[in-house]
Amino acid sequence: MFRIPLLVALALTVAFGLGTFSAIEALKVTLGFGGITLGPWTAFPQAQTADADPYAKAHRARAGALLLGGAEGLVFYARTDSKGMPLDAGCTYEISGQTPAARFWTLHVTGPDDRPFSLDAGLPTAINSWTVLRRADTAFTVALSRKAQPDNWVALPEQGRFALVLTLLDTPTAGSSGVMELEMPAIVTTGCGDA
Amino acid sequence: MRSFVYALAVGLLGAAILHIVIILMLPRFSERDAFSRVSALDDVHSFVALPGTPGGPNGLANDNPYLRTAVCTFSIGAQPALFQAVGAVPFWSIVLYDEASNEIFSMNDKTSVAGNLDLVVATPAQMLALRRTTRPELEKSILVEMSGNVGYAVLRTLAPMPSLEDAARNFLAEATCDGLRPGS
Repeated sequence: MFRIPLLVALALTVAFGLGTFSAIEALKVTLGFGGITLGPWTAFPQAQTADADPYAKAHRARAGALLLGGAEGLVFYARTDSKGMPLDAGCTYEISGQTPAARFWTLHVTGPDDRPFSLDAGLPTAINSWTVLRRADTAFTVALSRKAQPDNWVALPEQGRFALVLTLLDTPTAGSSGVMELEMPAIVTTGCGDA
Repeated sequence: MRSFVYALAVGLLGAAILHIVIILMLPRFSERDAFSRVSALDDVHSFVALPGTPGGPNGLANDNPYLRTAVCTFSIGAQPALFQAVGAVPFWSIVLYDEASNEIFSMNDKTSVAGNLDLVVATPAQMLALRRTTRPELEKSILVEMSGNVGYAVLRTLAPMPSLEDAARNFLAEATCDGLRPGS
């Protein structure tokens, strides 16, 4: 005699539970469609426009971040190294190469939830195109590790996953449709553990 | 058993519909979106410089360690809005967003006149009136048309080195965001 209410309850539980859960998870996992991916780097040049897809619009309404406009720049995120392994603070990394054409760029480390880490004051958590040391061919190498490194060094947090954010300011990359050959710096794991 | 599978199928269908509804309706009902956060800063008609990370008023902060950001809400229902700043900084950029955080207009110092910010936002009707009467002080202004009535502006500048911090702070502090006074 409780069969019908039970079935109704099941259908409602599945509908509300799965519907809400899947929507929230989908917004956590992705910033939406229409990203451009260059090696480990991903950017969303349309995310702030009216043309953004519904997922991107829902994501930005939930995150409430102040996005960069098209003429301002473009933000690239990396959560893996160039081989696809997740970035982990227990490892050391080298970021080397060139960035696409831009007037200025910055590189900083954030947590997996895109919030910046609060490291001890004095530790370098970011580097930019004015302060980076370059080789003769203008390419650069930035070492990422917990321990201090010579030349360009960005400090990592004690442990856990992290993400890299490369912001290109005043760049034609935002308007490119993939026709232009874009060169992004490679992220190479140089060692893991204390060894 | 058959009714059990049927209930499960109905549940899955409902979940799919609810998923779509949530994604589509979230921008309309979110109270954490950028416009709500910016307009909750009660300082209307002036740029509010955001503090460094982490945290800040209503969760707004500089999320890039070298970018200094200021925000301002504007309303062009009664009169056009005027944004002005004099740039002695290596880089600045401004972006205008509507209520739904869709980009209306963005520019940087390379696309400005003489490196200074001088931007007027107006409704189509106000724009017609502005074009009809030539006002000498608006000769060099960049005119932007916007169909909505309210929005917010985000002004950014750079402090790539600690020595440029003061210049960036002054640039943002002296930037104005106000209604355009009616011409004489």
